[in-house]
Amino acid sequence: MKPQDFGKPSEQLFKLDKLMPLPAPYDKPGMEPDFKELRDSWKEGYCSTLDGFVGNDTLVRPKTKEEEDEMVKKFLSGLEKLFSDETNRVYLQPLALSFEYCAKCNTCSEACHVFKASGGVEAYRPIFRSEVLRSIYRKHKQGGSLISRFIGGDIDINYETVMRLGELAYRCNLCRRCAQTCPLGLDNGLLTREIRKIFSMEMGIAPKPLHESGTVKQLETGSSTGITKEAFMDLIEFMEEDIEERTGKKYKVPVDKKGADILLVHNAGEYMAWPENPAAFTIIFEEAGLDWTLSSDMIGYDNVNYGLFYDDAQGRKIGAAQLKAAKELGVRRIVQAECGHAHKASLVSMDRIMVGEDNIPRESFLPLLADLIKKNVFKLDPTRNNFPVTLHDPCNMARMMGIIKPQREILKAIAPQFREMTPHGVNNYCCGGGSGFAIMNSFNFTDFRNKVSSRMKFKQILEAFQDSIEDVETPKYVVAPCSNCKGAIRDILAYYQATAKFNVHYGGLVELVVNAMVDLDKPFLEFLLDDEDMMF
Amino acid sequence: MFLTVFIYLSIIAFVGLSLYKAYQFSKMPMHGRWELYPVPKEPDGKGHYGGSYYEDLEWWNKPRRVSYVGELVDMAKEMLFIKNLFVNQRRQWWICYAMHLGIYLLVLWAVMLLVGAITILSGGAVAADAGSWGALVYYVTFLSGAAGAILLAVGSIGMYLKRSFSETLNKYTTPLEYFNLFFLFVVALSGIIVWAGDIGFNYGREIMVALLTFSPIQADLALTVHILLLGAVMIYIPQTKMSHYVGKYFAFHKVLWENEPNLRNSKMERIVKEALSYKPKASWSAPHINPGAAAKKD
Ligand code: SF4
Ligand code: SF4
Repeated sequence: MKPQDFGKPSEQLFKLDKLMPLPAPYDKPGMEPDFKELRDSWKEGYCSTLDGFVGNDTLVRPKTKEEEDEMVKKFLSGLEKLFSDETNRVYLQPLALSFEYCAKCNTCSEACHVFKASGGVEAYRPIFRSEVLRSIYRKHKQGGSLISRFIGGDIDINYETVMRLGELAYRCNLCRRCAQTCPLGLDNGLLTREIRKIFSMEMGIAPKPLHESGTVKQLETGSSTGITKEAFMDLIEFMEEDIEERTGKKYKVPVDKKGADILLVHNAGEYMAWPENPAAFTIIFEEAGLDWTLSSDMIGYDNVNYGLFYDDAQGRKIGAAQLKAAKELGVRRIVQAECGHAHKASLVSMDRIMVGEDNIPRESFLPLLADLIKKNVFKLDPTRNNFPVTLHDPCNMARMMGIIKPQREILKAIAPQFREMTPHGVNNYCCGGGSGFAIMNSFNFTDFRNKVSSRMKFKQILEAFQDSIEDVETPKYVVAPCSNCKGAIRDILAYYQATAKFNVHYGGLVELVVNAMVDLDKPFLEFLLDDEDMMF
Repeated sequence: MFLTVFIYLSIIAFVGLSLYKAYQFSKMPMHGRWELYPVPKEPDGKGHYGGSYYEDLEWWNKPRRVSYVGELVDMAKEMLFIKNLFVNQRRQWWICYAMHLGIYLLVLWAVMLLVGAITILSGGAVAADAGSWGALVYYVTFLSGAAGAILLAVGSIGMYLKRSFSETLNKYTTPLEYFNLFFLFVVALSGIIVWAGDIGFNYGREIMVALLTFSPIQADLALTVHILLLGAVMIYIPQTKMSHYVGKYFAFHKVLWENEPNLRNSKMERIVKEALSYKPKASWSAPHINPGAAAKKD
């Protein structure tokens, strides 16, 4: 398949049939579920003509010729806006560079986990998507003339091309590993995000979990979880009780404490899906005697900002509101808890929208925690974590922010059997849930995530535990210090039944730290509770 | 005299258009942060493993330090050796690097021709037996010119052939990109043909003398064709993506490695302030961005 084939009519451009093999014990047949059948209603209503997956649940198939034309027209007007210094000021320069200079050397393809995991499917090659975009732009600008064909503008611009591109933009995790290897410093991840932007900002098309039930809901209710202030206070109360039950210790969680040193912000999904994570933070912060608080203010308690993945305007609105909430509380600094994209959105992206007093300093929890451990603030017994542990580096913290060492210093102090994945750190592979995939569960998209985009991560996890993977008595723990990554890893472990069959567990970093605290008489990690006698 | 003027024009066009390209990139509005680690200018060894100031507790209270040496070393590795390609795609690197090394050597060759011309104009001689300076200039010119021309010819046609025969690469190569490689090959080939008639590049020094004294160039048909082609490619390169020597600088230095935090009272803060004061005259059309416009349409 060539970029030029992208708009040609066909029921499905390609099928995935030779995925990258997995290591033992998943190298035997029958160890992984097959792809789900594609339903006729999905085919009729959405875009299944790319690879048979439907991820973008607002990308609805046009019904009339007028709607088709309108879709193409809007796409092209959005495409023009990308290149205008009025409408795309913030990304014009990086975009122009990546758009103009690709030497088609293909170095980036080898770095892309989606491409590799798919068994080398052409359309998942990082430059495929970019080349389709270039081709459309050139054809649009030169109108299909001889010159246009000579410079590569030889693609059919029809609604099918547009629909497929709208899906293809959601086959990339925006992990930017491809850009790391590019000899010219170009970024296919950025180009993918720019395509998403056209769809969202011009055409009003973006996956519901990101937009409608994501950023829109967050701006309306304060959080994409929709938790109200009252519900939030209930959750905190529940958390305090839960901590007491688990540890026998009673803590009062500080909420809305004016002028505190630290405003701690979590991915609000944690309170619902993994309450042990904010609980562990509470224990750590209280035991360390820090002057900290949570915010119950609208938008002040949820650090999520899905705008990062698809829409500049939404990202900016949320980021600004979050900083404002911190300012009103009068805290000295904001500490981001275990959420990778919140780290990037708040510390990096929002660094260009605030000045002076409004620019409240923001930092990651990782250096803070590493510092507390280095200063021996807690009494820790690493033998409590004496089982194989590996670490996933969230792309947003590692590749996009350069936070590599603190998490390792922490693990070295608390996990005697810690081992690295290969590769790791700044060269890590994405968990497969990046850029919103972790929360995109429409139609059969989870199949794509579990079997393709998360495949490399699953392979790495299995490889890290090869020495004990088939020893079902030994628990194994994957540290994922990011809510989204944790979600993606939860899903792969469940999908492949790795927990049930091989005793592989996952969770945050802070839980592991609390588990090593000698003052607690029970393990903090739940999977250790049954095996308590064995472990202690 | 036409050739003398033409050569001057093509040099001016090459430099002028390249600078204009750089100017266009540099006057683009402030962009959103888009770093990618490892960022080599991070000090204290952080540049090596990909660390950054975000690894430090209360990073905004620490003095901001930047290792320009680290950045220069990495830039030089990339520019002189195309390091990323070497590390990640060794097989393609050989041929691609041959072409680039050919160009670098030809730049050296041109400088040596100039040195030779100055030597001649100041009364010296440049030849294998013209004393130590004359011989040095002669041999360095000879070696850089010979190796440069051959490497450029082999590299450009090699890349052309590799692209056309590789099933993957040819899917992504536009006719224009084939043309660019072929153009470079033809220029190198025409140079090799001229060189075959005057192995010591004496004609090159004569041209340089003519340029320096602004006098007419004596050229036969082969040399005239070569000069025209070389001039044309110099005018052409900055207008195409072969000008990636400009793009690469901005991609790395200004985007991926910028890494400059917006600290209070910093220069970056002033830049951000200015950018924030800009009121764009156009906007996007999705309903959530532009509710007013969407309502009007309905
Ligand atoms: S590595 Fe860079 S230049 Fe090479 S194909 Fe990929 S994006 Fe293009
Ligand atoms: S950003 Fe990541 S997922 Fe997307 S193309 Fe590049 S390597 Fe692949």
